Parts: sequence; structure tokens; C-alpha cells
Amino acid sequence: MVKVYVNDKEVEVGEGSYIIDAVIKAGYSVPTLCFFKGIYREASCRICIVELGNGRLVPACAYPVSEGLRVYTNTERVRRNRRVILELILASHKIKCQSCPRKGGFCQLLDLAREYGVEGIPVCAECPLHGNECLLVRGEPCLGPITIAGCGSPCTREGTICIGCRGPITRRDVLVEAARLYKEHKIPLEEVFSKMKLFWNNHPSLDKIYNILLETYNGGEKK
Amino acid sequence: MVNQTVVNVVSSIVARYRGERRYLMRMLQEIQSRYGYLPRRALEELAKLTGIPLSEVLNVATFYHQFKLEPPGYYIILVCMGTACHLKGNLDNYEAMKRFLGLGKYENTAKDGTVSVEKARCFGACSLAPVVMVISRDGKERYLHGHVTIRDARRIVAKYRSLALKKIKGGGS
Amino acid sequence: MTWTLMDKCCNRCWHSPEYPCRHYIRCRLSGPLCHEDVECRVRRSRRLKEIRYGRHGFKINVPLASCTIAAGAHEVYEAVVKEVKSRGILADIHRTGCMGMCYIDPWIELSKKGMPSAIYANVKPSDVPRIIKEYLEGDVSSAFALRNRTGNAKGEDKVPLLDELEPWRNQVRWVSRNCGIVDPESIEEYIALGGYRGLDRALNMRPEEVIEEIRKSGLRGRGGAGFPTWLKWKIAREQPGDVKYIIMNADEGDPGAFMNRLLAESDPHRVLEGMIIAAYAIGASKGFIFVRAEKPLMAERLSKAVEQARKYGLLGDNILGRGFSFDVEVILSAGAFVCGEETALIAAIEGRTRPRQRPPYPATRGLWGKPTIINNVETLAHVATIMAEGWEKFAKYGTEKTKGTKMFCVTGSVKRTGAYEVPVGTTIEKLVVEIAGGPPEGRKIKAVQIGGPSGGCVPASLLSTPIDYETLQKAGAIMGSGGIVVIDDHSCMVDVAKFFTSFTVAESCGKCFPCRIGMKILYDILEKITNGEGSEEDLEVLEELGNVIRSSSLCALGGTAPNPVLSTLRYFKDEYLAHVRSKRCPAKVCTKLVEYWINPDKCTGCGTCARNCPSKAISGELGKPHVIDKSKCIHCGQCYIVCPVGAVEKR
Repeated sequence: MVKVYVNDKEVEVGEGSYIIDAVIKAGYSVPTLCFFKGIYREASCRICIVELGNGRLVPACAYPVSEGLRVYTNTERVRRNRRVILELILASHKIKCQSCPRKGGFCQLLDLAREYGVEGIPVCAECPLHGNECLLVRGEPCLGPITIAGCGSPCTREGTICIGCRGPITRRDVLVEAARLYKEHKIPLEEVFSKMKLFWNNHPSLDKIYNILLETYNGGEKK
Repeated sequence: MVNQTVVNVVSSIVARYRGERRYLMRMLQEIQSRYGYLPRRALEELAKLTGIPLSEVLNVATFYHQFKLEPPGYYIILVCMGTACHLKGNLDNYEAMKRFLGLGKYENTAKDGTVSVEKARCFGACSLAPVVMVISRDGKERYLHGHVTIRDARRIVAKYRSLALKKIKGGGS
Repeated sequence: MTWTLMDKCCNRCWHSPEYPCRHYIRCRLSGPLCHEDVECRVRRSRRLKEIRYGRHGFKINVPLASCTIAAGAHEVYEAVVKEVKSRGILADIHRTGCMGMCYIDPWIELSKKGMPSAIYANVKPSDVPRIIKEYLEGDVSSAFALRNRTGNAKGEDKVPLLDELEPWRNQVRWVSRNCGIVDPESIEEYIALGGYRGLDRALNMRPEEVIEEIRKSGLRGRGGAGFPTWLKWKIAREQPGDVKYIIMNADEGDPGAFMNRLLAESDPHRVLEGMIIAAYAIGASKGFIFVRAEKPLMAERLSKAVEQARKYGLLGDNILGRGFSFDVEVILSAGAFVCGEETALIAAIEGRTRPRQRPPYPATRGLWGKPTIINNVETLAHVATIMAEGWEKFAKYGTEKTKGTKMFCVTGSVKRTGAYEVPVGTTIEKLVVEIAGGPPEGRKIKAVQIGGPSGGCVPASLLSTPIDYETLQKAGAIMGSGGIVVIDDHSCMVDVAKFFTSFTVAESCGKCFPCRIGMKILYDILEKITNGEGSEEDLEVLEELGNVIRSSSLCALGGTAPNPVLSTLRYFKDEYLAHVRSKRCPAKVCTKLVEYWINPDKCTGCGTCARNCPSKAISGELGKPHVIDKSKCIHCGQCYIVCPVGAVEKR
């Protein structure tokens, strides 16, 4: 048996175990995406990184334990790195939650993004989880496609539109996708803009958001 | 008929290396030196004969720079992308060549199959930077051009293109 | 076939690979040892003299390594052969490796009994008859340098000695001692110059003693990370099991670093000898030389060296009768920069791709799950030299923490590009300015990029930094394999960072997110900045993202990939700010931020620019100054390059 300290809590695990085993045994948790015990242990997604006593960041799923190893699962540095990694994953992720086969099921990525406060996923991703009918279809200027998710979409659940209280998403691809949605459902942008003024009037990127929306809305299929 | 010869070639290569996984790279190299690239048919045959899944074969074939999945031109123009060559403007030369041949972003070979333009790793001829190397498909001819300017770049493409046209017509290879 | 040193002197010598003689190596130079025979002794010393001075007292060295061949050494070689034949002189035309001074390529060296050995620089095939004629007439005045002086030849005092030349005098030729002197395809010459003595000595010691000797020498891996070589060996030696492997990493991929290629092409036996010693020390019975297929000459020379060593019983079963068996297989790498990472290299040999998470380190679980040692070419060459010369001589050089010498390839904006060997701890300034001659006239050094795509840029103000692992790391660079690119004031640092980032983006294996996506985003941001669309916010993103990629990537490639960006951000923030704030490129490199205009005083109206302009932005009558229409200009820079009189200017 090997003695390991997880967040300064002593725990014993068998030889040849990995950090993640010790973390679980100690009663803590680390997020994982690519790791499947016994099937995939390649440490590709790096979301499970933890900090060692010597300041190194290592993936919990594939780093073997050794006697006296000190592991910290939730330091400031770990959280920051996890957040950036999540942002990176989302940067290459087509956020078309409306058409995702997991719609209505659970989405680890969405859960993690909510947990780490990563902007980039719109309310529209959560909304269908509750079986709501899309308000855009009804022609209402819902801000769901461009508002940061994480609230659990209480407004749309009640049948009223999202008014963007959690702040805007500034990612270009999300905005482009949103503009397409608005266009598809023939919702005039002016209405959307007027709703945006309620919470976002002083937001530094507001002009940028306007421009991207307008560009896509008017420019048809241009980029 | 053509496929039959591919089968023969691949099976003789596989037999030489006993189809062992560790020689996968070597077998691919031999196939490439035979055809100048890795024909899809040969890869499928290799996968079948060795029992290595085709996806794994393709994984290796697409991962390493040496392997080409499409037939190259008669002459391959290698534009050095080493640091010294970059600082002296070889990227402009590369782009000028591609523009001259009318190639898109992911195309490397001229439509008539005469020349290919490729980025290459440092040749170690940094004192001549920027450098362009031209090799023929069979590797028998090898020319080096040093201190290349954009004007030279076009001239080089035009020269090897006409040379290749002559050889393809004359030699019938 | 003439008798060579490697052959039996008479029937009393019985060495063969099947029945090896313990004293075979020592016997070559100071033999015969097992019997006394004047004739055998004379035969040996006569052959030694022949090797040193040529069979006919006249020897012409032509370097044939890929760098000199690229500069035209093959043609020079043929011209020399032709000239010697047509003159009907008796001379040995001798192929050697490269001396490392690329700026004089191709060179030839003529040495005749009674005459000084003269090196001629930048030889063209058409120069060869004149050079040979002059030399035979006793005139060396047009030579580049002399190896020695005799006082017999004309013009000797006008030509400097090689040892007096700045780039030569300041070097310590330790591993590169034979480069440019020995015929790389001849094991006999290597032995005549004292080769394989180190192996002989190592086999007389116990493996632990060999490791101890390397420990005392203070040798650290020359491949990049600088891990102590002895420690790596010791870990592998202490692993249970009797199957262990050793791999020579000859898969050099850094742009701007070619010392491994140079060593393996110019003195392959030294590298091989080091490998056999390492195998003995860790108890490996099988070795692999992993060499790039794109560097065919290097692969060919290494394979030839292996063949020769096998032929004379230096590889195979029961090497030199010491009961140690070892064999080597040459593997052609299909080329990927990530193979510099040990686990990716192992994957490549196994026929797979991509690195894996460490630990377990290869020294405990490597190739096919067995303990595996991976050393690079230069490290192994050092091992051979240390075992032959003793650790004291090696440890004499270097700094407190890092001993010995290291080869550096200096390229970019310097007068004398080349590969130079200096003691570790030499200052950057000495290497770049004194040895490599500094930048061309009128230019100023802005920064020095050390360590290739994994390294960083050190600004001109820190040129007095000594080069060793620790101080460079503090300065934000790494020693890496030793590529040094000098950047002058005509280059833009943002563009340099972008270049290295584009390299790592292309080379990233794609296994882990931080490297695969993070580097791409870094590149996109840099491109945005060089296109004049960046903001100050972007600089913060660059820094934060860079730090995350560095600390959470899977392998060393990702762990060091942001270094060029981070180090330029650290030292050249003002240049980044000029790009994002005033949308201006101070070095006038980023074409989108440069305005092109035609100076009417210089323009001759030839119309070349107008014909080459892809957007038809240039107009003007023939013979009269042309004008660029700013609204149509796409900033491609074609006109600037094609203008024959330099009338197109940037502002």
C-alpha cells in the first residue's frame, strides 16, 4: 500500500494505482472527460489536472501514485487551468445544442462549463433540457442564443423570453450561429437589440456584438 | 490488372517483414518508394495482409511527414521552412509559386501533374538562405537553388514545369 | 585490395568476429602485441603514415557532407579528380566530413610533404585547376587559411593560420575533433586517430564503473532537457530483467540546428562507439539508431559504420572477447518533430504514433515495456570521447553545474554561419559576435533565438548571458539542441513568434487539447496582430493561454511550444504594443501594416511593378514615375521585391 495525501488528507491506495483512485478514495472528485477506467487512460483532455506538492500540474487519471505524494485538487492554479482548457475545448466545439443528439440528456461539457463559469455556451443549450418549446419559433426576440448559460433557463421554462441577465457571449462563432437563428425565424434584429439594452447597455463588447450580428444577418452566408 | 500488381508488390513487401507491426513504418516506406506515394489500394491490401486495422495504418501514414497519400508531380519543389530561410522571405517564395501555378490552399500539385510545391524542413544549407530544392519523383535528380527571390521562384517553377512536360511526353514514364 | 590496419598483419594474428581478441583495438596502433615481428611493426607504421599524409605524399581533402554537397562539393570533387588525372600527378583525393564552418563551403584542403597544409574557401569547380597549379608551384597566397607553417611556400605570411582565425581559435574541438579530417566512411582512419580506445577502456571496467566515470565527468544530455546522463543510465541499469534497449536519437528536427547531422555524417564511428559503451553500461543487448529518412546521407553513413563495426567484431556476440553482446539496427524515421519527445520516438519504433503521459519514464518502461535509454547523437559522441580521454579533461571545461563542451549552430543574420563547439558557459556574445562574426555591416542584433521552436528569444541587452541550462531557463529560453538564430533589426519579433508558432501548430500531434487547440488559437491571435486587427486585450490572452499550455500539456513539445511567444512578449512588449496600438510594424515586416509608395525621384518608369501587381493597383506611363493606388493595394509586397532600382519604399 502507498500513502498519499489528497488535499492534506492521508489516504492509502494499492501500488500501481493512479492519483484519481486516491482522490476518489479520499472523498474528493476531479472532473474527467476522456478518461474511462480500464478502457481509455491516455490523458488527452487534461481536464483532470491536479497540482502536486512540487507545483507541477499532472493529469490525475494517468499519473501513478508514489509514497508520500501530495496532491491538491482544487487550488487557484488548477481551477484557472481547467477553465482555460474548457474554453479551448469549447473553442473547437460547434455549439449547436439544438441539434445535438444529447439534447434532453446530460452533457458533461455543459455541466463543467457551468461549474467553472466558462462563457461560450448559450442558454439555448440548457433550455431544451427542460422540454421547452423554442420561443424563437414563435417569433419572439429571445436572447437565449447569445446569453451565457448556467441559470437553468428559469424564464423560458415559464414561457417568457430570456432577457440576458447573465451577460452576453462574445464568441464570434456563437454570435454568427445566433444571427442565423434569428434570420431563420424572421425575427428583426432591432427587437433583439432593444432587449439587449436592458442588461448590457454598458457592456464593453456591445458594439462588437452588434457588428457581428448585423454582418451575418445582412450578409447572408458570408462567413 | 493494375490492382493485381499492387497486390503482388504489397504481399512481397509484407512477406519480407513477416507482417510485423514494428515494421509498419518500414513497409509503408517501401510502398512509397515503389509508387512515389501511398495508393489507397496498397494500404487496404497491407491492412488485410498484416491484420493491422486500416485505421491504424492510416494513422501512421497521415502522421509522419514523409508519407504522401496523393501522387506528387514529376518534379517536387521543396521550399525550405527553416528559421534562416523564413527570416529571409521563403514563405513569400512559396506563396508566389503556388499563385503562379494557381493552386488553392490545400493543393500542392499542378493539375497537369508536372510539379508539386511543398514546404520542407531545414536542409542545413542555411548559409545559402533562402533555399529551394527540386527533386524528381524517382529521387534521381536533385537540384539546389540558393538566394531565391520571388522572380527566381517563378522562373524555377516555369523551368521545371517545361522540363517535366518534355520528360513526360518524351520518356513516356 | 591494399592491406589495411584492420586486417591481420600475418597468420599469427587470429582475431575474427567469431573468435575475438581482447587486444584487437590496442594492437592496431601499437601492435603487434601477441608476437614480436619487425616486419609486422613496420607494416603498421607505414600504413599509419599513409593514412596521415597520403600514399604519395600529396593529399587533397574534399568535404562531402550534405551541407557542403548542397553548396556544390560534388562538382568540386569531380573537378579535382579530373584535374589530378589530366595533370598526371600522384595524389590521394580524400573524402572528409564537414568542418562546421558553413560560410566557407565548399572548401578543399591541399597538403603536400614539405608544404603547409592549405585550406581554400568557397571553391568553384572552375577554380580547381588554378588552385592545384598554384599550390604545386609553391604558392599558397590565395589560400583561406593554413594548418601549419613551413616557411617553404610563397605567400605564407599573408595567409593566417587556422588557429589564429577567430571562429577557430575560440572553439574547443572536443567531439568535433575529427570533423573535416577523417574519412567518415572508413573505420580504419577513425582507429588510426585513436578511435574505439574508449570502448576498449570501458570494456575493461565494470558497467558500474563506466557509469561512475560519466558521473564524474558531469555530462548532461545534449538533446535539450539536460538530464544527467549517468543518472538515466543508472536507473535503467537497476531495473530488473535482462532485456533492455538503447536508442540513438538521430531524428533531428529543429529548424536551424544541424550539429547531430554534422557529427553523424562527419564522424559516425565516434557516435556508434558511444552507443556501444552506453549499451554496455546499462546492459542492453539491442540498440536502434533512429534516423530521419529525409537525411539520406546521415542514414547511409551510420549504416555503413554499423556494417564496418560488425565486420571487425566491434558489434555482435562477445565483443572483443569481453563476453558482452550487442547489435544495432538502423531505423529510418518518417519524420515528425514530436519524435524528439522520448515516448513519441518509442511509439514510432513500435509502429505507432504520438507520445504518452510520463511517468513511467522510458528508463523504467520504454520500448515494448522494457527499460530503454534514449540518448542523442551528440551525447553519445561525448561519451565516446570521455571514455577515451578520461573524465578529468572533459570536466575541465564548462561551468559549476554543466561540464564540458557543446556544439551550437549559429545561423540567421551573421557573417559566419556554422556549427561551432565551445565550452558550456561561453557567453552568447562571444559565440555570436566573436566566433560567428556578428551581423552584416549596417545591421544590429536585436535578439538571439536559442533552442528552436521550443526555445525563446533573448534580447540584445542580455547578450552577456553565459549559455548553460540554468541561466538560459531563467532568461526564458532553453538550450535545446543548440540552434542559435540571430535576429537583426530588419526582423519583426511578432513575426518571428508567429513563425515558430506556425511550426508547432503544424507539428503538434493533436493528442492533448492545450497543445492542439491552444497553439492554434495563439497562432490566430498572432496573425490578427500582424494584420493590424489586434487589441491590447489580445496580449493578455496570449500570456494567460501561453502559461496554461506550458503547464498542462501532455508532453514536452506542448510544454515548451509557447516559449517563443512568451519570451518575445516579455522582452519585446513595445513591439507588440506598436502593432496593436498604432497599427504599425516597427521593423516594416508585417506587410499588412506597411504602406508601400513609389519614390518618384528613383522610379525610372520601367513598368515592372505594374506588370507584377496582382491587384492592378499600380498605374503610370512607361518612362514616367508610377503611382500606387492605396485603395487597391493589398500589401502583398510584390512591387517592393521586383523593382529593379529600389524605388518602391515602405513607410
